[in-house]
Amino acid sequence: MRRIFLAAALAALATPAPVLGQSWRTVTMSRQLQGHDQLRVAVEYGAGRLTVRPLDGGLLYRMNLRYDEDSFEPVAELSGDRLHLGVESVRRGINLRGRESGELDLELARGVPMDLDLEFGAVRADIDLGGLALTDLDLSTGASESVIDVSEPNTSRMETASFDVGAAQFTMRHLGNLNAERIEVDAGVGALTLWLDGRWQRDANLAVDMGLGSLELRVPEGLGIRLRKDSFLTALDSEGLVKRGDVYESLDWDDADRRVTIDLDAAFGSVAVVWVR
Amino acid sequence: MSVSKLHKAAWGFLALAALCLPNDAHAQVREVVSKEVAVGRSEATLRLEFADLERLEIRFSGGQVVVDGEVLGSYQPGGDLDAAWRALLGEAVALDDGPLSEMLADWTVPAELAGDPAGVAHEIDDALERALRETEPSVGDRVSVSVEDPGSLVETLLGSVSRLGLIEEALAGLDQAIMVHVGEDVVVPAGTVTEGTLVVIEGTVRIEGEVEGDVVVVSGALDLRDGGRVDGEVRLADARILRNEGSVRGGLVDVREDERAFESALRDSLRGEIEREVRDNLRNELRQLGRGEDDGLSIMAPFRPVARAVGGIFEKLVTILFLALLGAAALAFAGDNLDVIAETARRSPRRSAMVGFAGTILLLPVWILGAVALAVSIIFIPVAIAWLPLFPLAACLAALVGYLAVARNAGEWLADSNYPWTGWIRKSNGLIAMVGGLVGLMSAFIAAHVLSVAPVLRLFSGLLVFAGTVITIVAIQVGFGAVLLTRAGRRREQWSAYDPDAAWEAAMSSDVDIDDAMDPSPRQGGGSRPSRESDTEAGESKEGGDDA
Repeated sequence: MRRIFLAAALAALATPAPVLGQSWRTVTMSRQLQGHDQLRVAVEYGAGRLTVRPLDGGLLYRMNLRYDEDSFEPVAELSGDRLHLGVESVRRGINLRGRESGELDLELARGVPMDLDLEFGAVRADIDLGGLALTDLDLSTGASESVIDVSEPNTSRMETASFDVGAAQFTMRHLGNLNAERIEVDAGVGALTLWLDGRWQRDANLAVDMGLGSLELRVPEGLGIRLRKDSFLTALDSEGLVKRGDVYESLDWDDADRRVTIDLDAAFGSVAVVWVR
Repeated sequence: MSVSKLHKAAWGFLALAALCLPNDAHAQVREVVSKEVAVGRSEATLRLEFADLERLEIRFSGGQVVVDGEVLGSYQPGGDLDAAWRALLGEAVALDDGPLSEMLADWTVPAELAGDPAGVAHEIDDALERALRETEPSVGDRVSVSVEDPGSLVETLLGSVSRLGLIEEALAGLDQAIMVHVGEDVVVPAGTVTEGTLVVIEGTVRIEGEVEGDVVVVSGALDLRDGGRVDGEVRLADARILRNEGSVRGGLVDVREDERAFESALRDSLRGEIEREVRDNLRNELRQLGRGEDDGLSIMAPFRPVARAVGGIFEKLVTILFLALLGAAALAFAGDNLDVIAETARRSPRRSAMVGFAGTILLLPVWILGAVALAVSIIFIPVAIAWLPLFPLAACLAALVGYLAVARNAGEWLADSNYPWTGWIRKSNGLIAMVGGLVGLMSAFIAAHVLSVAPVLRLFSGLLVFAGTVITIVAIQVGFGAVLLTRAGRRREQWSAYDPDAAWEAAMSSDVDIDDAMDPSPRQGGGSRPSRESDTEAGESKEGGDDA
């Protein structure tokens, strides 16, 4: 991805002559690490492709952005402990002239404790938060196709990770690596796939509030789960779970090293529990 | 004062203190803490931020080369200079901090550049050199600091946070040789000339001679005697004037004046708001007093129901007028569709009502399911975004058009009736028939308003409102159903084999045997119920009357 972006940037650099009908601008921004103890990072992106990855080296962030300069302007503001990255709209309405979409490739420093607030609209998002030191996470997306991965364990402890999903195909991998005590997923409509793999460092609570759509819980064998369901017109495929009273529990719930309690509130749709090795 | 300001002031002051020490000039590459490379169709920009918060911006945009906001020269878009600059930015994209600084500082003007572009390139090179090579000048001859009590400098630095900001503001933009006096009084004797900027912090400066530069007084006093002269500005920061008998060529500036002006504006604004609030409250109280709302007594009380009734009637008439305008538009642009909808509503009112009722119930699920079905695939998400507002809009439009069609039917029915007040309704004019129907459909509401004048008839008024609401709902359901049945008037409903137009044509074109027609003998099979075709034939004969 980054290579593609770099190639596009270099192509733009090598093309000084203006091309008719084109208003795309490429921006590369970076900032040195300067002994930041704790940061509040807000990333905003409207539409296009979004990539977020961890960054090694002495930089706090590196951002490669390709955007329509008639409609947006880049934002990279560091003020005290607040870091604001992304794009802001400079024109009302949606530009329907072209089908080409913008791109934001963002890298954030590993090891810097940060409260991360990701907000994006109609995007194809590929986000890897692995290795970041997240002390808080808020992710909000509109109509998107998103894959959120936590490929490496979070080096900081997090109290709550919140995901607010509008209408989307939303996949989250390695939720255990988030190192969060509580994970909240509020989904409107769409298809939601949650992988409960990764390294769970403590027992956790997962709350899923789903309006309409399908939810697939992919649970690694050995992880104890308890499912509390409060739903309306929602089908549950509870393979591998036994019902005890009002809750569904995995067979090894009592003996499991790590346990995840899932509170499910769904209106219409389907819920499936799939066990993975 | 903001933290950044405090930092800046502290840095400035510490730098000032450091200037007192003899230093050899030497250069090193400055630390770049932030980099931005922006390349677009008509722009190629480099923005750097250094550790001391200074910035450098070099922008190639619209044929001009701009460095830190100042136009340095021009370039030809796509020309050699533009290409060289973009090539430099191409290298800068991949580098950060030290390597970036070194690369930019080491940049030299490409050999292929000549003439004006080469000149501009040299200036860019100089700008990069100046910004990136950190030179610590030996300034013993430029700045002198005199401190009566060494502790006072520390006290000045640490004693008051706000003072640092004050000093920063007072010293902003000064670039001459500076003489700083901290905590001591200064005298410029008559007949002497002092060159450079004179800065007095926490002291009194008495000027009897001439100062060829600026005078800055921070937390002190200015004593400008007769014959004293200042060529530059006199800046007073938290300072007072003892005498002002001399001359100041550059003018007198109070650096706190802006703040005071702001405070004054804020005070005025607050005062204005309070005045407005008090005035509004007073006005409301007076208004309430006039209405007699406090004690329920008012000379207007008996007329209030009449006014309310007239207002209600007027509101209904405006509604009718508005709907009539929409109806006129519908007749003008979709008259045929409206005819088909009205005909369906007239011929199959029950079926239309059922379909309308079912359609109303299904509206919400269809809307949600449609949005979900479209949103599940990202390709259709833009369609889903359009679906969300457009579907309810289309449903409202369908209900409105259906209601207007039913209103026209009602108007035609009223025209056929023998009610005395319906003489003005003409069936031949669709719009007038529609207006008549609207009046008819809303007559219950209008009557309710009329009855509301008399409080004793409030019960009947309520019943009429209920009746009007039911009539409106039924009319909307029938109309909406008719719209659905006819696919917005594009598909005519089939009711029976009888087509009056075709029958008339057939009657006109067929040969009629007068003798047979006049023959009073019964037809074959007479007495039994005629077949469907016989019905039609009977219907074809307009004179037949009864069957028709």
